[in-house]
Amino acid sequence: MKIPALLRPTTLFLTLLLAACSTIAPYDQEAYKTATGLKVDALVVMSSATESYSSYRAEVARFRIALDKAYEYDRNRPLNEITIKLWDKLRNPDGDLLGGFLREWQEEGALRPKYVAHKKTQIAEGFDTLIQLESGKIKPAEAARQL
Amino acid sequence: MANIDWKDIEKQTAILAKTILKGFADQAVADARDFQKKAQAHLAEWLTDLAHGDISQKNFESLVRGERDLAEMRALKQAGLSKIALDTFTAGFIEIVLHAALAALP
Repeated sequence: MKIPALLRPTTLFLTLLLAACSTIAPYDQEAYKTATGLKVDALVVMSSATESYSSYRAEVARFRIALDKAYEYDRNRPLNEITIKLWDKLRNPDGDLLGGFLREWQEEGALRPKYVAHKKTQIAEGFDTLIQLESGKIKPAEAARQL
Repeated sequence: MANIDWKDIEKQTAILAKTILKGFADQAVADARDFQKKAQAHLAEWLTDLAHGDISQKNFESLVRGERDLAEMRALKQAGLSKIALDTFTAGFIEIVLHAALAALP
């Protein structure tokens, strides 16, 4: 009987060896999909920041929960420290990206349209940075092909 | 004892390193240039908006600090991509050695 390629001793040995040699988490489709979706949601929520925060309180709360869920998912992936640091930068309420923007909106009420537009550009770039790192990670299919 | 072709391993490893590491370095330089270009354009635009009263001094300062945060995020991303390049190189090297070892089996 022919042994499937994935079950051959050399392949199994190599798979374990490569996993042991990895210095960063492999690509995760779920994490990629969530981050791209959250980018779109963030820009939609931010567009409302030219109006009073109180009118959008529930919407922002829902968005924050989705953001926290994505963070928790990534936080529990092994070798994923750099992605976590990227999320920390983006979410930090004392910083000047998404977390800081939402806090500012909550504290100050409606924000100036030009300011909101510029912040949307900045925060979109922040999400892109995170997404680019995820998409650059080694896909499981690529790793298997190397064997 | 099996005769492993070490010369070939060396040659293939050099090609692998050149391809992966040079590709990574070129990408990092292009990324840094792109960021610098964008940051300069953004700054000019914010200064115009500040002068016209479309954004406040506080808004301007937050945008500048946001750009610094983005620069830190870019640096983190590059650190991550360098780890990926290293992992790719390691996997390729193992594959080269294994193939050479298997080929040398009688």
